[in-house]
Amino acid sequence: MDDVVIKVSGLSKSFNLNRRGALTFKGMALDCVNQLRGKTDPSRLLWALKNISFEVKQGEVLGLIGANGAGKSTLLGLLAGTMAPSTGLITTRGSISSLLELGAGFHPDLTGKENIFLAGATMGLSRRQMSDRLDAIVDFAGLAAFIDQPVKHYSSGMYVRLGFAVAVEVNPDILLIDEVLAVGDAAFQRKCMKRMEEFRRLKKTMLIISHDLNAIQAVSTRILFLDGGEVKGDGAPSEIVDAYESFWRRKNSTEFQREWGTREVLLETVEFQNDANQTTDKFEWGHPLTARIHYRAAQRIENPVFGFAISDSAGRIVYGNNTQIENFSIPSIEGVGEIRLTFPQLNLARGTYLFSFSVHSADHQINYHRLDHAFPIAVESSRRFEGLCHMPCVWDSSLEIP
Amino acid sequence: MNLLASLKHHQDLLWILVMRNIKIRYKNSSLGFLWTLLSPILLIVIYKVFLSILRFKIDLPVLVIGIMGWNFLSMCMGDSLYAVLGNANMVKKSAFPRIVLPLSMVLANLVNFLLFLVVVCFYLLILHVVSGLALPGVTLIALPLIIVTQLALCLGVSLISSSLNVYFRDMEHIQGIVMMAWFFMTPVIYPVSQVTSKFGSSFQILFFLNPMTGLVSAYRAILLNLPFPSVGLLALSAFSAWIILLVGLRLFDKLQVRFADVL
Repeated sequence: MDDVVIKVSGLSKSFNLNRRGALTFKGMALDCVNQLRGKTDPSRLLWALKNISFEVKQGEVLGLIGANGAGKSTLLGLLAGTMAPSTGLITTRGSISSLLELGAGFHPDLTGKENIFLAGATMGLSRRQMSDRLDAIVDFAGLAAFIDQPVKHYSSGMYVRLGFAVAVEVNPDILLIDEVLAVGDAAFQRKCMKRMEEFRRLKKTMLIISHDLNAIQAVSTRILFLDGGEVKGDGAPSEIVDAYESFWRRKNSTEFQREWGTREVLLETVEFQNDANQTTDKFEWGHPLTARIHYRAAQRIENPVFGFAISDSAGRIVYGNNTQIENFSIPSIEGVGEIRLTFPQLNLARGTYLFSFSVHSADHQINYHRLDHAFPIAVESSRRFEGLCHMPCVWDSSLEIP
Repeated sequence: MNLLASLKHHQDLLWILVMRNIKIRYKNSSLGFLWTLLSPILLIVIYKVFLSILRFKIDLPVLVIGIMGWNFLSMCMGDSLYAVLGNANMVKKSAFPRIVLPLSMVLANLVNFLLFLVVVCFYLLILHVVSGLALPGVTLIALPLIIVTQLALCLGVSLISSSLNVYFRDMEHIQGIVMMAWFFMTPVIYPVSQVTSKFGSSFQILFFLNPMTGLVSAYRAILLNLPFPSVGLLALSAFSAWIILLVGLRLFDKLQVRFADVL
């Protein structure tokens, strides 16, 4: 494919941890030798990126999402060429301009103008090329009044504006931006968005890191989801953002999660399905939800009771009942089987909820298996009401209407 | 060749950094750049006063030229510790040939050195008028060659210490000791003859293996129109200077790969 502008294959990057650990002279001497040879004890290596491969085509706007420490910034640093990969290969085509983390490599004692030339020169642009762009940069950053001041007197917003202006105005083929959507005031953010839109029209390639999922979904044509140095998702923005959110719901729910019981009956898996029978953990208010509970009973169990509870993200129970309360009797179970729980209309307010499931004896004396707060779901709602739950009710009036 | 090509591509960066290094040194000082001329003048005056009081066995012009050569090296060494470390921000945020950092620092110090040289030349001219000191002869045409050789040496040691200091901050302390020993091994505050007249030829070879020995004696021979030490010994000094540059280039190239990881 000749429109591939970035090709990353088998990319890994490791960092050496606790270099300060060596206190003995021998340890220090060994450390020195290893440092120089670039070899280290594998247990002291942090793998920020693990065997990553992907391609970016010209004109794509690739969003990078992931938690802190997922490897996003490392990836951008490697693409920008400030760091060298531990293993793997990066090939890029065209000029690259980058804005890594906050601000470019500005020197505090130099003026804004001098720093513009310095930043341009690091990218290999000549003085003349930069002079031609100077006005546009100063104008875009909105710093005309301060451009002859040393940047150490700048506010952090001014600093970032200048960095972004330089990165954009050098007119690169590939633009790498680390978390810039979250800085600057609203007016500057609009300006950035507009500029990025222009870049998109010009078929330029962009890689953007942001924690603002709405913003990144709006600007990207494709999103890469990183976690623990690995690619966990790569595809259409809405799809990957959904996967990312559900990944986090699952990860966060483990905090409250608890599992216990005699395990005479095991709750093996629970699947949540929407009205189209698709397995998902994202539901719309007022639409049906079906939970399919798969169990396994090692021996015959008489009169088991299956129950559930829904809690909000703080762990407070919103609602719960069981087969006994609902008079759904199960004479006995043995082997594998499935129990279904259906809400014809999910009446929960917008938010994240945790499902708990249990199976116990009819007299509540024996808990076979309980999975507390183990299954997170998200509920989207356009209906507004107070509280966590919408209860069907009717407003009426006996007032005479004149 | 690869290195030269990327340096050519980034020549404006090199130039900007040289200017920045010169500028930053004198920031916040009211006399600013004038200090590059003032400090050697004051240095000559101070030594003039103390030599006459202490009755030290060295001529002032010989001493001043020695200090001029040594100064270039020691300034580079001192600055080199932070040539890379002090620009961590740049190294982490943008991709450019890292060598421009120590190189621009050495070139900025070359400017200082050349101004020192100008001051020394004026001083020698005054001595010529006042006390009939001999003017430099035809050997003056060799001066650029000597300066280039010292530039190679200064760049070589700066590459070594700037890159090593990124990984081991102990370099700072080690360097202080090394520079003190190196200072006394170099004929700065004593004339070369004091060593060569006392020891055998095998010791002379060792003495001139120190590139600074050859460089300082060459500066003196050229500027004061004195007889040159043997060409073989000078070549030895020059040779070791260029070897140090090669070693520095190799080491820096190896270590620069992981600068951004460590900084």
